[in-house]
Amino acid sequence: MLKFLGKRVLQIVILLFIYVTVVYWLIEAMPGSFVDQYLLNPKLTPEIRENLKRQFGFDKPAHIRYLIYMKNFLTLDLGISFSYFPTKVTTIIAERLPRTVFLFVTSTLVSYVLGYSLGKRAAWKRSGILDKTTTFVGIVFWTIFLPLLAIFNIWLFGVILKILPLNQFIDPNLWKTAPLSAQTIFIRLLLTALVFLIVFLIALLISNRLKTIPAKKTMLYTSSITTIVVSIVIWILSGYSIYAWDIIKHMVLPVLTLTLYSFAGSMLVMRDTMLDVIREDYITTAKAKGLPDNVVRDKHAARNALLPLVTNFVISLGFTVGGGIITETMFSWPGIGRAYLEALNTQDTPLLIGLLVFTGIFVLIAHLVADVLYAVLDPRIRY
Amino acid sequence: MTEMVVAEPLWKIRLKLWVRSFKTGWELFKEKKLALFGLGVIIFFAIFGLLYPLYPMIMRNLFWKDDPFGYQTFMPYDPIIGFDPDIVSHPSPPSLRHPLGTDPLGRDILSMIMYSTPREFVLGITAALITVIIGTIIGASAAYYGGVIDTFFMRLADIVMLFPSLALLMVLSAFMELTLFRLALIMGILAGFGSITLVLKAQALTVKVRPFIDAAKSTGASDAYIIFRHIIPNILPLSFLYMMFNVTGAIFTEAVLSFLGLANIRMSWGVIIQMAESSGYLMGASIGTYWWLWLPAGVCITLLCSSFYFLGRGLEEIVNPRLRKR
Amino acid sequence: MLLSVRDLRMYYRTKMGYVKAVDGINFDLDQGESLGIVGESGCGKTSISMTILRLLPDNAEFKTGSVLFDTGNGPVDLVKLPESEMRKYRWRGISMIFQAAMNSLNPVYRVGDQIIEAIQNHFPDMPLDKAREKVAELFTLVGLDPSRMDQYPHQYSGGMKQRAVIAMALACDPKVIIADEPTTALDVIVQDRILKEIRKIQKKLNMAMIYISHDIAVIAEVSDKIAVMYAGKFVELADAVTVFKRPMHPYTYGLMHAFPSTVGEKTELVTIPGEPPNLLNPPKGCRFAPRCPKADSVCLDVDPKYREVEKNHFVACHHPVQPKEVVRFYAD
Repeated sequence: MLKFLGKRVLQIVILLFIYVTVVYWLIEAMPGSFVDQYLLNPKLTPEIRENLKRQFGFDKPAHIRYLIYMKNFLTLDLGISFSYFPTKVTTIIAERLPRTVFLFVTSTLVSYVLGYSLGKRAAWKRSGILDKTTTFVGIVFWTIFLPLLAIFNIWLFGVILKILPLNQFIDPNLWKTAPLSAQTIFIRLLLTALVFLIVFLIALLISNRLKTIPAKKTMLYTSSITTIVVSIVIWILSGYSIYAWDIIKHMVLPVLTLTLYSFAGSMLVMRDTMLDVIREDYITTAKAKGLPDNVVRDKHAARNALLPLVTNFVISLGFTVGGGIITETMFSWPGIGRAYLEALNTQDTPLLIGLLVFTGIFVLIAHLVADVLYAVLDPRIRY
Repeated sequence: MTEMVVAEPLWKIRLKLWVRSFKTGWELFKEKKLALFGLGVIIFFAIFGLLYPLYPMIMRNLFWKDDPFGYQTFMPYDPIIGFDPDIVSHPSPPSLRHPLGTDPLGRDILSMIMYSTPREFVLGITAALITVIIGTIIGASAAYYGGVIDTFFMRLADIVMLFPSLALLMVLSAFMELTLFRLALIMGILAGFGSITLVLKAQALTVKVRPFIDAAKSTGASDAYIIFRHIIPNILPLSFLYMMFNVTGAIFTEAVLSFLGLANIRMSWGVIIQMAESSGYLMGASIGTYWWLWLPAGVCITLLCSSFYFLGRGLEEIVNPRLRKR
Repeated sequence: MLLSVRDLRMYYRTKMGYVKAVDGINFDLDQGESLGIVGESGCGKTSISMTILRLLPDNAEFKTGSVLFDTGNGPVDLVKLPESEMRKYRWRGISMIFQAAMNSLNPVYRVGDQIIEAIQNHFPDMPLDKAREKVAELFTLVGLDPSRMDQYPHQYSGGMKQRAVIAMALACDPKVIIADEPTTALDVIVQDRILKEIRKIQKKLNMAMIYISHDIAVIAEVSDKIAVMYAGKFVELADAVTVFKRPMHPYTYGLMHAFPSTVGEKTELVTIPGEPPNLLNPPKGCRFAPRCPKADSVCLDVDPKYREVEKNHFVACHHPVQPKEVVRFYAD
C-alpha cells in the first residue's frame, strides 16, 4: 500500500510539473497583457513606466520569469495579482475557495445521496415506473443548458414565489450594520458544517461496528440530530444567527440548481453498476437466505455497486473548482469561478495561472483520495 | 454430387451482413422508447433547421404583401441584421408577425433560432467526429502497440483531463477569434486526446487478445492493416456511441461560451441568450417578463443536447452487453 | 413426506413464446433421503430448484402445481405462500448450495459475517457470540479452520469457498438442502473429497438432500434415488441401484452406457445422436422420440404418461426397455 502510494505521489508530482509548465506558457503566450493596458496611459513618465515593469517583473525575459515562477511555486507562492495589487494570489484563492467549496460540496453531496438512492431503486425494479421517470427527468436535467436552469430557478423562487432572494452572495442592507465581516461568518458556518460532517463520519464508523440494524439507525440519527440542534442553539446564542441565515438563504438557489443539474450523473452510474451487480450469484444467495428484499438491495447489491460511485464522487469534487464558472456567474457568487472570469477579462496573468494551477492540484489530490478510498472499500484490492 | 457455388461479389455479401446486423440492431433499438424519442427530436430539429429558408417567404406573403419596399429595406426576418419598423418598441412579445417575439435589436427570434439550428448540428457533429476519429485511432494503436506509444498517449490523456475544458477554451478565446468551425475543431481535438482514448483503448485491448488478430498476424498482415481492418471495426460501435455523447458536450460548450460572450459566432442559440443577458433583461424582477428572449433558445439547446444523450444511452444498451436486459 | 412436488410447471416468457423449462414435475422426498436429478444442461434442472425456493427472474411465469413442505405441524404449499411468509422457509426450511459457489459469497463481507447474517435473520434473538460459536462449529464440520471466519472470500481457495458455502447452507439447520452442481467448478480430487463430506454430514444430521448435476458419476456417488430429466420433464425416477442396473427409459439407458465403467462387465459405449429439443416448441409427442431408436408413430403423437411401472419405479415411456434388451443408437 505504501509503495503504491509513493508511486502514485511521484506520478502526481511529475504530472503537476508538466501541467504547471503548460499552463504557464499558455497564459504567458496570450496576446496582450495587463501591463500593456496599463502602460498605454500617456500620463506615465518613463521612470514610472520602468518602475512598473520591474514591479510586475516584466523587465526580465520570459524564460527567467518562468524559472522564478517555478521556484516560487515550490514554496507554494503563486505570485502577486495584478488587478488586486499587491494582494497575493494565494490570499485571493484562500478568500474565494471556502465559498466555492461550500457551495459545491453541499450540492455534490446532496446530488450523490439523491443519485445513489434513486439509482439503486431504479435498477432494482428495472423498467419500472420509477426507473423510467428518473432516467428521463435525470437526463433532461443532466443535459439542460445550465444558465437556463439558473434563470428558471431565479424566476420561479425569487420572482414568482418570492421565497428566496435573487442572485447575490449577501443582502447588502442587512450587512451595513453587521459587527463581523461576511467572510468571518461564512468561515464559521463552514466550520459548523465541517464539525457536523466529522461527527457524522465518526457515527457512521461506530454504527458499522454495531450489530443490529435498529442500533445502527439510532446511533446515526441521534448523533446527527444532536449535532444539528446543538450547533443551531450555539448560533442563536451568539447573536449572529440572522447573518448566518442570510448567507444560507442565498445559498439555497445555487445549491438547488447544481443538485438538479448533476444528480443524474451519479444516478446513471449507480443504476448501471447495480444492473451489473444484480446478476451476480451472491445476490441470489442473499435472496435464498430469506433476507428481506430491501436488505438484499441495500446491504448486498448497493454496497457492491458503491465502489465506482465513490470514486466518481471524489473526482467530481476535484472538478468543482473549475466547474463553478457558469453557476457563480449566474448567481453572482464571488467564488473561484467568478475570480477566473474576472482574471481573464482583466488579463491578470498571475491570478489566471494561479487559479488554473490550484485547480490542477485540487483534481490530483482528489484522484489520490479516490485511490485510497477504493482500497479501503474493496477488501479485494491490496496495492 | 457437386455443389453449385453461386459466385457472389464480396461487396454484396458485406452489404447483406451489414443490412442484417442493422436490422437486429434496429429491433433492439425500437424497444428503447427514450432513444426513439431522442431520434425523433433530432429529426424534428433537422427538418426545422432545413425549413429556415421558407420561413421569411411565408411571413412576407402573410404580412408584408402591401409593403414590399419595407421588406426589402429592413429585412425583418433576417436573423442578423433584421428589424421590424412597424413595431414601436423592441423587444416585443410574441405575436402573429413574430411568433416568438423580437429581441432588443428588433430581430425575429424564431428566425434566429431556425437559422442557428443547422449550425448547431454542424458544430456538434464536426467536433464529435474529430474527437471520435482521434480517440479511435489513438485507442486502437495504444492497445495494439503498447509500450512507449501506450504510455505516452495515456499520460497525455491524464494531462488533458487535468485541464478544466471550459476554462481552457476561455483562455484560447483570447488567442483567436473562435469562429464556429475553429471552435468545433478545437473542442474536437481537445476531447479526442482526453478520456475517450482510455475507454476505447480498454475496448481495443479486449479485441487485441482475440484469436483472429493472431491469425491475421501469422498471415503476414501489416500493423496498419490489422489496426484498421480488424481492431477499429470492432471498437467502432463504442466510438459511435461516444460520438453521441460528444455531440451533447460540444453543443453545450458552444452555448456556454457564446453565452459568456467569449466565442466569435454571429448567431447561435447561446448568442440569443447572451443578447438577453447583456441587454440586462435577465436582471432582477423583469426576468420572467421577457421570457421569450431566453426560454425558447434555452429549451432548444436543452432538447437537442438531451436527445443526442438519449440516443447515446439507447445505443449503449445495445452495444454494451452488460446493460442489456438478460 | 417431507417434501412432495406435484405437477410443477414453470415457463419463461420470451419474445418468441414460452420456454417450458419445468413442465409437470412430480417427486417425493423423505427425511434423510437424497434425490439426484440428472440431465443435460438446459433441460430445466436448475429451474426446478429456483421454482421450489421461488427465486425466479421477472420473466418466469409459474403455471400450475404444488410444493408441499412439511413444517412439523402439517404441510404447507410453498407455492401459495405470500412472499413474507415464504422468506421464513428459505434457508431455514430449504437451503441451497449454489451452482457457482465461487461467486455465491459476497466479496465485500467477511465469510463468517455472511453466515451469521443468515443465522440472525432467522433467529433474531440469538446473541452474536452464540452465532459465532455456531459458525465455528459449522466450519469444523465442513473441514475449515474456524479462525478463517474473519477472512474475506478472496482469501479462500476454490475448495475452501465451496466448503464455506456448504457451511452456510447448514447454518440454519435446514430440513432440505438443494445442491445445484455443488462441485462442478472444482478439480476432480477436491470434488470427490467434498462430495464424500457432504454425504457424511447429510447422514450425520439426517437431512434430506436434492442433488442436481449433469454428471451421472457425481449423482451416483451421493443419491439414494435418481431422477432423470429430459427437456423439462422427468423421464425416469427410481432408487439408484435400479436406475443403474435396470434403466427402463431409452434415454436413461443411453446415459448409463455413455460412461465407461471400470468395474463390472465390459459394455459397448453408446452416444445418443441428435440434440435435445428446443424448449420453445417441444415435440408434440414424447420429447425424446426424435432421438429414440425405439420410437414409433405413437411416440411421435402421444406424450407418454409418467407412471409407476414397478413399485417406486416411475417411467414416462410407451415402450420401456425390457430386462436384457439391448438398445442400439444410430449415429447420424
